[in-house]
Amino acid sequence: MSSLIRMGVDVGGTFTDFVLVDGLRDRIYTGKRLTTEGDPSQAILDGAQRLVDEASITIGQIAGVIHGTTLVANTIIERSGAKVGLITTRGFRDSIAIGRELRYDLYDLLMEQPQPLVPRHLRLEVDERLDALGTVLRPLDEAQLRDAVTQLTTEKVEAIAICFLHAYRNDIHEKRARAIVQAMALDVPVSISSEVAPEIREFERSSTTTANAYVQPLMQGYLARLEERLKAQGLVGHVHVMLSGGGATTIRAAQAFPIRLIESGPAAGAMAASFYARLMGLDHVISFDMGGTTAKMCLIDDCRPQHAHEFEAARVRRFRKGSGLPLKVPVIDLIEIGAGGGSMARIDGMGLLKVGPESAGADPGPICYQRGGTQPTVTDADLVLGYLSPDYFLGGEMQLDLASVRESVAALGAPLKLDVTATAAGIHSIVNENMAAATRMYVAEKGRDPRQYSMIAFGGAGPVHAYGLAKLLKLRRIVCPLGAGVMSALGLLVAPPAIDYVRSYVTRLNDIDWRHVNQLFDGMEREARRLLTDAGAQEVTFERRADMRHVGQGFEIDVPLPNVALGPDALGSIRESFLTTYNRLFDRRVESVPIEALSWRLTATAPMGEVALNFVRPGESGSRAPLKGRRQVHFAGIGFVDCPVYDRYGLRVGDHLDGPAVIEERESTIIVGPDGRITIDRFLSVVIDISAGTVKQD
Amino acid sequence: MEDMAFDPVSLEILWSRLISITDESAAALLRTSFSTIVRESNDFAVSLMDANGNSLAENSAGIPSFVGTLPRTLVHFLKRFPKEDWRPGDCVITNDPWMATGHLPDVTMVAPVFHRGTLVAFSGTIAHLPDISGALWSADCRELFEEGLRIPPIRMLVEDRPVENVMEFILGNVRVPDQVLGDLNAQITAHRVCARRLAEFLDDANMVDLAALSETLQGHAERAMRAAIATVPDGVYRHELKADGFDADETRIHCTLTVDGSNLHVDYAGTSPQIGRGLNSVMNYTYAYSVYPIKCALDPLTPRNAGSYRSVSVDAPLGCLLNPRYPAPVGARQLTGHLLAGAIYGALAQAVPDKVIAECGSAPTARAVFSGVDRQGHRFSQILFASGGMGAGPGQDGLSCTAFPTNTGAGSIESFESISPLIVWCKQLRPDSGGAGEFRGGLGQEIEVEVVSPEPVHLSLLSDRQKHAAQGSLGGSPGALVEILFADGTRPHPKSRTTLKPGDRLIMRYSGGGGYGDPAKRGKAAVADDLREGLISDVGARNYAQ
Repeated sequence: MSSLIRMGVDVGGTFTDFVLVDGLRDRIYTGKRLTTEGDPSQAILDGAQRLVDEASITIGQIAGVIHGTTLVANTIIERSGAKVGLITTRGFRDSIAIGRELRYDLYDLLMEQPQPLVPRHLRLEVDERLDALGTVLRPLDEAQLRDAVTQLTTEKVEAIAICFLHAYRNDIHEKRARAIVQAMALDVPVSISSEVAPEIREFERSSTTTANAYVQPLMQGYLARLEERLKAQGLVGHVHVMLSGGGATTIRAAQAFPIRLIESGPAAGAMAASFYARLMGLDHVISFDMGGTTAKMCLIDDCRPQHAHEFEAARVRRFRKGSGLPLKVPVIDLIEIGAGGGSMARIDGMGLLKVGPESAGADPGPICYQRGGTQPTVTDADLVLGYLSPDYFLGGEMQLDLASVRESVAALGAPLKLDVTATAAGIHSIVNENMAAATRMYVAEKGRDPRQYSMIAFGGAGPVHAYGLAKLLKLRRIVCPLGAGVMSALGLLVAPPAIDYVRSYVTRLNDIDWRHVNQLFDGMEREARRLLTDAGAQEVTFERRADMRHVGQGFEIDVPLPNVALGPDALGSIRESFLTTYNRLFDRRVESVPIEALSWRLTATAPMGEVALNFVRPGESGSRAPLKGRRQVHFAGIGFVDCPVYDRYGLRVGDHLDGPAVIEERESTIIVGPDGRITIDRFLSVVIDISAGTVKQD
Repeated sequence: MEDMAFDPVSLEILWSRLISITDESAAALLRTSFSTIVRESNDFAVSLMDANGNSLAENSAGIPSFVGTLPRTLVHFLKRFPKEDWRPGDCVITNDPWMATGHLPDVTMVAPVFHRGTLVAFSGTIAHLPDISGALWSADCRELFEEGLRIPPIRMLVEDRPVENVMEFILGNVRVPDQVLGDLNAQITAHRVCARRLAEFLDDANMVDLAALSETLQGHAERAMRAAIATVPDGVYRHELKADGFDADETRIHCTLTVDGSNLHVDYAGTSPQIGRGLNSVMNYTYAYSVYPIKCALDPLTPRNAGSYRSVSVDAPLGCLLNPRYPAPVGARQLTGHLLAGAIYGALAQAVPDKVIAECGSAPTARAVFSGVDRQGHRFSQILFASGGMGAGPGQDGLSCTAFPTNTGAGSIESFESISPLIVWCKQLRPDSGGAGEFRGGLGQEIEVEVVSPEPVHLSLLSDRQKHAAQGSLGGSPGALVEILFADGTRPHPKSRTTLKPGDRLIMRYSGGGGYGDPAKRGKAAVADDLREGLISDVGARNYAQ
């Protein structure tokens, strides 16, 4: 077994992607299988075997398998999780149902609200109470607790969640309650809020704790089975899982807090983009991952993705903020919008052309797939505009039907008096504008200027739309790495083992109890060190942050804390760090209003070795002729242009090309407009520089 | 003619981009503001108006009450400061209730946007300040002057420089000057974002000004609303509802809705005269809370702009509760204004019953404002945000604990307790509070608060619905009444300022929404579900006997 051979497996809704890095021979192998519904581990085992065969090694030689999965997210979206009982402080069993009391749609009188994961008759209350400082006001009534547990047992719940008021500050009652449940010899997992999400705000904390309980029985079983079966197939190395925050963790930790896997897949994509940013020395990158149903954008500054502390799952109104279940989990801060190859175009009531967020998905899919889709999609428009080739979709595995697409697109545009080209160009620019608008907002909220950024584009539709989107955002450089379709699986391999912790302690900076803060950090560091050492880490680095705001404000900002012993001497630099961050975000320094901190965060990371990027590609490189032919390709403001079509696998390191150009690879197509200059860098990435002065939108 | 300038593709792109400019400005305002009301009640707005003062785009999550008030305020500003006198970086404000939003805490701010030397637009923002002097937020003042400082239209910035004596004057009159300054700055930040983004937008789109685009967008919005109104059968529809008013002065809202082709007129003749307490709703506020529910019911999807309401007119006799004369007290005008949606839907239900919902228990909002000194000696002022239930509608039960027509959120109890000397012993759904119906009204909630500070705490109550419940629609039953009491069973005045001693407990029971349709038609399974979930009791289930 060599620590240099590792495999990443990303299970998505449609495909399971594989990347095998063979560090001994400096090779990277990739693979794709259809995801096996019901038991995803089947596709994993089959695909893993196929890939090691291809690489002429055995599973026993693999040092580690890192797994990314959408299982947690899907279980919540499909509401197919466990029957959960929730135990709360008396008077608060409805927190999870009452929520934030906001209407996410101002004009919809009959809007649908997301239903809590636990119905009211399974939400039981016991007497106990702490105040905001964690002082016990009422002791835990253990007899009531036993009664509640007995009642839940009668109801045959499969998992129990416990969420007491102010438990983020003092876990004494929750710990005691769990001990009692366990002593009653129940064979159900127990999630307590002070461990799952020890953060102030009872609705969000109990929502997270119940969601953890909801997916726990399933995920415990699935992860145990996966590990067992891989070992049975000969795996000696470890199995790790990707967290939503972009770190890898052990099966054991994932089983305790499965809710932290909810954004496992998208996190991996952002980690892959961060990896490329580091390789290429790009300080400011927007990663752009466009697939069949959604597009995801993530800011990567100094080779690290932005992080957020909350995520909204299972929105009942697609992509509408506020219509889902809030989860307090560390996630990579990315935006996901309903813009993908399958996004459908339609005419709205006012005679305007709209695209998405509804998607034709993979089935029936776009019209051109010929699987029964009838409404024109973004992919159909891209086909009409010459961006995609009817004969080389998925490397030629799928023949696209241009004639029927043209007919449907023309029919869509007819009432607007738009011809087929204008309609297709309209669909393409509207979906680009939707993505640009969402990106502008997201970048502005971070206090950044999009023009300073380069773009790393991947996903099946990413490289097709990267050029148009980059122009709208006034970006100068686009990078399309090799392997657009397996970037997430690659991301699994380049993400360092890492874990995030949080503890809430609300205090004004001037009133801080430093002993308490240091205890909080000591506790978190101890736990993190133990976990990462278990995962095989030699050394661990820590980063401390705090959620802070001016007294009186309702929104906190994420502030880095100085890496020194925390005490009165650090006060000045903490204050300065807050003011600097605030100024970057909001362009203002408010010196006169006191500052308070709410939550204290720790990120622990174990450094990892380099991964070399030598892809083993279809047909091996270099020998093929780069120019495949020419076709008519449409560019906004110019019209159809006679455009060379290149075979990506024929391009060599150092090649230079001028736009307009189409570069085809198996899983995607790169489109470059007339003002683009193309270079193939040493990692075989296609680097597109857009000339200055011509970045006007049409 | 207008459609020749913009094809459907560019129009879609330009329109959504204008809205996202206001959204981006709104995000900056929200995140930097200090006012809990801005944050929790969404009580702010950003609007973009063309050079003629017609609204062009508004932030999508803004508060409905500000629909249309900004352009009306701008008209007053332009009277005081003619268009040719505005310079880049200027900024004018007012909080005059009659010119702006109906009560003093809201500051309306307008700045011009210049592009290549020409005035192309005005940006407008409104935000509820943390303090505006006078009595703390209350319903029982007898005239406007008790309620706080009135700022007439005045320049706050001249070419980007603050007018020092204006700022000093305002800050010298408020309880928390740092936070008030912070919030005025939050508004200025939003204006800067708006101006910057609009300039980029015009450059990108190769446009010199917004005139043609504005005309086209307003035309679209107007046509959409007209088409929606045209589906309502012509006729005159009347509805009257009663509110608690103040003590013996019960109030009545009389609404006459006239639909004539694509035009809709709302007339409030027959409404009670203005009263000597802060329940009066100025015409701007009356207008805003009349057109908003109409848009929700008839044309919810079209983005709104000046065109949206060209086909809707609103009238109320001068001197009545809905169009009071200066200087009537107006501090709790929401207690009246929030009821207009129910009055309008009561009338509309006679014509288009499938488009409206029953009356909401969450209208008007019920507020308890606590203030005093906490254990560390810090001054605190906390509003307990919570809502009753919405009315049920065709095909759907009412939403529990959700505000309508306003959109007030509720903060967390843990946060509430961490910054005030108060303990909340329960915050739970209130069974049987939703009106029975084929579709049940949304439930209200019950909250119990104990004072744990060593010092007495001031309490201001702004509430209604202790006498008049939210009525059902099409045979549905009314929701439960509001109940506010102390632990000893005594009841405070629902619109008063009192003092709570340490150890005192206040119990607030929020009202439920009205039911929709005959309760006997409710499915057995739905009734059984409600029983099992404890949303109705065995007694409450009897309302559904068939």
